[in-house]
Amino acid sequence: MPRTSALECPGCPPLRALTFDVLGLVKVIEGRGKQGGVPKVVDRWGEPDSSKCVLAASMVHAKYDPLLAVARKNGTIEVLNPLNGDVRLSISNVDDTGNRPENDAIAGLHLFARNKVDSGSRSCTLLTCTTNGKATLRAFEDIFSADSASVGSSRTWNVCSSGNILCSKVDGSENYALFGGKGVEVNVWDLNERTKIWTAKSPPKNSLGIFTPTWFTSATFLSKDDHRKFVAGTNSHEVRLYDISAQRRPVISFDFKETPIRAVAEDLDGHTIYVGNGSGDLASFDMRTGKLLGSFLGKCSGSIRSIARHPELPVVASCGLDSYLRLWDVKTRQLLSAIFLKQHLVNVIIDSNFTSEEVANSTRDPSVEAAQTANENEDGDDQHLQPVKRKKSLKEKKVNKKGRKEKNRSNEISAEDCGSKKLKSKKRVKCEVLDDSP
Amino acid sequence: MMGAKRKKSDSDGGEEEESSATNGYSKEKKMKTEILPSMIKNKDKRSEVHAKLKHQKKLEKRKKAKARDAAAKRALELGEEPPAKMIPRTIENTRELDETVCMPDDEELFAGNDADEFSSILKREITPKILITTSRFNSTRGPAFISELLTVIPNAHYYKRGTYDLKKIVEYANKKDFTSIIVVHTNRREPDALVIINLPDGPTAHFKLSNLVLRKDIKSHGNPTSHEPELILNNFMTRLGHRVGRMIQSLFPQEPNFRGRRVVTFHNQRDFIFFRHHRYIFESKETKQADSKSKKMKDAKGEVAKEKVIAHLQECGPRFTLKLISLQYGTFDTKGGEYEWVHKPEMDTSRRRFFL
Repeated sequence: MPRTSALECPGCPPLRALTFDVLGLVKVIEGRGKQGGVPKVVDRWGEPDSSKCVLAASMVHAKYDPLLAVARKNGTIEVLNPLNGDVRLSISNVDDTGNRPENDAIAGLHLFARNKVDSGSRSCTLLTCTTNGKATLRAFEDIFSADSASVGSSRTWNVCSSGNILCSKVDGSENYALFGGKGVEVNVWDLNERTKIWTAKSPPKNSLGIFTPTWFTSATFLSKDDHRKFVAGTNSHEVRLYDISAQRRPVISFDFKETPIRAVAEDLDGHTIYVGNGSGDLASFDMRTGKLLGSFLGKCSGSIRSIARHPELPVVASCGLDSYLRLWDVKTRQLLSAIFLKQHLVNVIIDSNFTSEEVANSTRDPSVEAAQTANENEDGDDQHLQPVKRKKSLKEKKVNKKGRKEKNRSNEISAEDCGSKKLKSKKRVKCEVLDDSP
Repeated sequence: MMGAKRKKSDSDGGEEEESSATNGYSKEKKMKTEILPSMIKNKDKRSEVHAKLKHQKKLEKRKKAKARDAAAKRALELGEEPPAKMIPRTIENTRELDETVCMPDDEELFAGNDADEFSSILKREITPKILITTSRFNSTRGPAFISELLTVIPNAHYYKRGTYDLKKIVEYANKKDFTSIIVVHTNRREPDALVIINLPDGPTAHFKLSNLVLRKDIKSHGNPTSHEPELILNNFMTRLGHRVGRMIQSLFPQEPNFRGRRVVTFHNQRDFIFFRHHRYIFESKETKQADSKSKKMKDAKGEVAKEKVIAHLQECGPRFTLKLISLQYGTFDTKGGEYEWVHKPEMDTSRRRFFL
């Protein structure tokens, strides 16, 4: 018989992920059901068109009325509703100076969550950054009115004089942003004042006197509430930790494999990061020591373009040029599932409100809701037990079974008691026992 | 006992008798020789037993085939459907289930095709122009192979490598409107790798090259003409294979000259891509039957009747095998390049998993 070794994917907990690809499609992947559910593509927004290739995406994880911003190759930025894919707002990033979108593509995009909370849900603020270093902060008063002329304010400044910006990131408090790229050292800006507050210094020449040119490909802040520490990945396969408060040179710097680092993502705990590179290797590092925690192995053969960490569940999603979306367990570093999405993927975002949303419209499916609430409870109860969750649920089942058995037994006993008391009505008692037994 | 049985079965006659007899014999044999030949220590005896077993197996196999043929023949005579031909189970047709296999109803696949780097050539907007160069050192079979590649691929130009960096060559070729670069890598005076770079912006495929047979080493080879060849691409099934296939396709002009009757084949089997180059000819020939008949009744049926068209194939060479090592996004860049696909040892956990 043919021996086939099917990939054993244990399936993943309920989650919702959005992927963006080179044909400008947005695909929604949802994993439903309890542990072991296989996620599927449930929705596809947009028509395949190579000029609408997605370059960057950002999302506000608000409970009510979340927003999703997508920057495309033809210079438009679209604000979508991440629940159904309706375009709320479409603006063009092409300005009057005649810069063609091909020459000055958008490298970074961030949609602010803060303004939404402050002044109702009708306004939104966008930070975009092009490869030539033109950063723009746009505010929109009313995104629900049909015309896009309702631009509240738009402020533009230059973050670099030469070189190409390749990565930009806004910290958790949304007051600071960092930019870096080819020929551009990482620099941190205060977004309120729009001033540069810090610039990195390139590391010294090595022992052979060779200087590696500056080329940052990805960056992320180490934790949500600290803008001073961030991690950057370089084209010369180096991962560096910078600390603004300490020095201008990297605090920790180490090599990872032999192809350029393409994606860096932070964990919730504030010291673990996930690193993906150009040949499809994904690994997690502890940035306190700079030690490798472990590699994620799963026949991943194409460059990793984006990594996303689930804000609650221990799941990491990665996607890239091999056109697979892969979901990994954080603790065991096992592949939970891989979904083939046909195109080169550019970005992945995990929708954190998926479970709550499920509960909200749970009237039609109470079983799912129950499962999810159970999951949530578990999360709340014992976060240290997360990797053995499945085992736990098994145990629970066993316990349940035992409980049932005991119940039955007690029933029997009581029945027997009855029998001994009422010898005459033995038959009837037997019937009862039969009825009781499940 | 045994003899009696035999006599009884003799009376039945026909095939069944024989089979039952041999069955009885083999059963008896089995009873006797539960011991395998490998367990016998005496070599003479062992080889004897082994030969006997082998002979028996051969007979059985022949009989099976005979029975099968007879069944087919009988079905043919009775006008029934002949029994279904058995399909051997091979590694290819038991390959692992792969969700990346291209489906003809996939809308996104065609949209992707229209958007990819090769579409302008394959839509005949641009005619391909190929630059062929070598690794730094090149001798013996390398130049011979290149001269043959030049005859295979129309509009290909050989440039000496010199001491230029490949990235510089890519720049140069971009300026001169080349559509692809082929680099023949030679190691120990033997071509061993092929790098195909699609211009202006990738991808780059890196192949291992093996089993190279040059034209002069092929028996009764033909010499190709300079017509545009026809192209056959076989079995490029998955998305990756599809992409590699399109890449190879974009090396050749998309208008074959059928007068030249020249075929270039890239046949993918178990992730190995076999290259062959042939000439064909159609010969209309009177069949033998017609010859024998024509002697007797010459003008009865005329010349029109018994003409049979036979296709002849002649190999022109070279002949070689390619195996994909990596497919890189963008043009050649070993240090800072991103890969669409790299072969990793952890992928080789099954013999039945193929990527092309």
